[in-house]
Amino acid sequence: MESMLSTKDLTKQFGDFTANDKINFSVREGEIKAIVGENGAGKTTLMNMLYGDLEPTSGAVFLRGKHVRFNSPRDAIANGIGMVHQHFMLVPSFSVYENILLGAEIVNERIPFLVNSKEEKQRCRELIEKYGYDLDVNEKVANLSVGEQQKIEILKMLYRDVDILILDEPTSVLTPQEVDEFLIQLKKLKAKGKTIIIITHKLREVMDVSDSVMVMKQGQVIGNVETDETSEAELAQMMVGRKVLLTVQNDHKSVDGRTVMLNVNGLTTNDAAGKTVVNNVSFHIETGEIYGIAGVEGNGQSELVKLLSGMMESTSGSVVFEGQDITNWWVNDLRSKGIGIVPEDRFAEGLCKEMTLCANSIAGSTASKDFSPRGVFSTKRIRDHCQTLIDEYRIRIADFDGNVSQLSGGNAQKLIIAREMFKSPKLLIACQPTRGVDIGAIEFIHRQIIDFRDKGGAVLLVSSELSEVLSLADRVGVMYKGGIIGEVDPQQTTETEVGLLMAGAAPRTEATA
Amino acid sequence: MNRFNLVKLANSLLPVAFALLIGAGIMVGMGHNPLEAYGIMFGRSLFTVRGLTNTLHMASPLILAGLAIAVTFRANLFNMGVEGQLLFGGFMAGIVGAYIQMSSPLLHKLLAFLAAAAAGMLFALLPALLRAFLRVDEMVVTLTLNYVMMTILEYLASGPFRNQGAGYVSTNTIRETAMFSRIGNTRLTPFFIISVIIFLLMWFLQKKTRFGYTVEAIGKNPQFSEATGLRVRRNIVKLMLISGALAGIAGAGHMMSHEFNYTLSFSGNPGIGWDGMLISLLGGHSPLGVLIAAVFYSSLKTGADNINLYTGIPKEIVAIIQGLIILFLSIQLIEQRFGPVKRWRAKRQMKEAERGSVE
Repeated sequence: MESMLSTKDLTKQFGDFTANDKINFSVREGEIKAIVGENGAGKTTLMNMLYGDLEPTSGAVFLRGKHVRFNSPRDAIANGIGMVHQHFMLVPSFSVYENILLGAEIVNERIPFLVNSKEEKQRCRELIEKYGYDLDVNEKVANLSVGEQQKIEILKMLYRDVDILILDEPTSVLTPQEVDEFLIQLKKLKAKGKTIIIITHKLREVMDVSDSVMVMKQGQVIGNVETDETSEAELAQMMVGRKVLLTVQNDHKSVDGRTVMLNVNGLTTNDAAGKTVVNNVSFHIETGEIYGIAGVEGNGQSELVKLLSGMMESTSGSVVFEGQDITNWWVNDLRSKGIGIVPEDRFAEGLCKEMTLCANSIAGSTASKDFSPRGVFSTKRIRDHCQTLIDEYRIRIADFDGNVSQLSGGNAQKLIIAREMFKSPKLLIACQPTRGVDIGAIEFIHRQIIDFRDKGGAVLLVSSELSEVLSLADRVGVMYKGGIIGEVDPQQTTETEVGLLMAGAAPRTEATA
Repeated sequence: MNRFNLVKLANSLLPVAFALLIGAGIMVGMGHNPLEAYGIMFGRSLFTVRGLTNTLHMASPLILAGLAIAVTFRANLFNMGVEGQLLFGGFMAGIVGAYIQMSSPLLHKLLAFLAAAAAGMLFALLPALLRAFLRVDEMVVTLTLNYVMMTILEYLASGPFRNQGAGYVSTNTIRETAMFSRIGNTRLTPFFIISVIIFLLMWFLQKKTRFGYTVEAIGKNPQFSEATGLRVRRNIVKLMLISGALAGIAGAGHMMSHEFNYTLSFSGNPGIGWDGMLISLLGGHSPLGVLIAAVFYSSLKTGADNINLYTGIPKEIVAIIQGLIILFLSIQLIEQRFGPVKRWRAKRQMKEAERGSVE
């Protein structure tokens, strides 16, 4: 079959950041193409380029084999490409037909500045009937459900007679019932000859509705597969997996005299919107053990780490550290108990970019007598401390007295780990410790974590890099929809098995026991 | 000095330079010699013993008011209520000074200072709690509360605490034990020394202690502060209380060294609290900067009298210059709060980067 819309080496950079790196994408006429990937994988950026919303840095777009260049969404629509954004762009106080025809009003033949609403309504009714939707053209959009509003967005595009419909995370705002109906509608549109590109990270929908799938990760295409030749597990693995980067020797050696360091029991919490984001999570970590948490991002891992590091409050459940109940303790109390924290977002929570290296090197320990022997900061001691961290962790700096903003991602992460390790914690919570870090630093960081474990430390390792979790951790819990869906032994499991758990497949009975 | 410090210095000096330049333009237009006017203004207020001591005397409450604002600005908090807190503190010191009889002058003054500091803290507490726990914008609350305080004090001064013998609204004059005596033949009082000591204390706190670290971290990245165990809410309350206390002490000092009773023009126009804001901006919110800016600003104020005395230029020219400094500095304030220039620059840089990589 001929390619309807394709790209050649399409690249988009925002400053130094490459959002899309040489993407070769192709969709056939009349198919439903799914684009999957985690948040920040570059899916939306790619679509915005196809839709003329963003200008590509380099590369080309081909429509039916012809090189095209869209300067605006208007261009794209004129060429038959329509897009429905994740966030709707409707006028709530306007009625259905007014919204559908916004910007394409039908005017009165004799008096051109008057809108011919009778004609408009008639056309909209025909359109709605043609695609089998159930909508009243006179209803105000403000009174409609999210699912109905989405239909209007789609109708807007259909009215403009597009052949290719791009849908950005169309189901993320819908209820399960609406999702089912939506998927049926998609198939109907396909039957009417439309080509559909759907961005999502919900694998079930992909398997249900699409003909082929493109997997993206960190701005690159990881793979193109036909839907009937793949599985949810394989897709999950492609989404999060990273090809072998691990060269660190891990002998999973057992430390003698293990005791339970951290015991999490039934931990539950809601987000600001009241949705349960961590749901009845229980696990324990022993001394000399790395407990890994795997899962597709957004399944409650970040919130779990926030709960354990004192940045979020739990609604029920308990956290016991060395036999002491530390549920909902303040960060400073947790830290002084001997918990080291490597946060997920290093420049928001780990470091302060506009403060000096020295100031950052004592963050979390400002009350320590080591730095203020007589209640007053000793500049010399702080500088010596900072120099020690830099030397021991081989952090590459440009200016010792400068701000942290000078550091690269990897070196910034090294500084955090150096700082946290220096306090010789008993438990280290490391969240995405190697994200965006160069290979050399990854190896170094892995080495540090394993050494820490071998000396009897307990580690909670949360990472969306499956290979990282599997090769470092001694036990792995897989999170899905806020809960731990299963626990596996990384030395015995396969990526396929973990992939299935990550996709929400039923857990093994013996693992949850 | 690195580039960053230069920018900071320019941020303070340019508004002053522009204001003086425009002021000079106006004087030329009026047919006067601006160089002569400025010479007299600054020469007499800074380079004669009498002028300098006058300037330093007037600078004493300004230093404290400036510090009160600077300490919150550094933490990205905006205590705009320094004027109200200062008035309340001054009023309370006036009441303690007038109505309480004490034999020890030292203890009497100390008590007045304590009452004033407590008043300032009390008045800062409400916006602090609202900000820390309900995320109510402290800038709006503190700003509007100033007028509440002015009205309350106007009532108290013209009603229950009015000095019936005075022909205008005023409280009773404070007792002698609560008055600071002059040092030698100058207008300087020990209050100036107290201001300088508090300045040194604040400087030390900011540079050398956990407190200063906390303020800086909260100002630059609250999320980071929280995540590394600095209790942000608690520190916001603490900071606002410190700010309120400083403002209260400034008011008390002004009462006991300069005004001696509370009138409706106690803190002048614009009030010391508003001047303090200007001084804090001018001084880049650093304690040392505040000290220098307070002395400079005070010299403008005392210079105004000299200009009137020795030249034919109306002293209002100084008010114009003050107004211009405020105008130019407020550009900086807008930037600090809303960052339009920063955003514009970031946008431009992004565009340039995009363009660069296309070519």
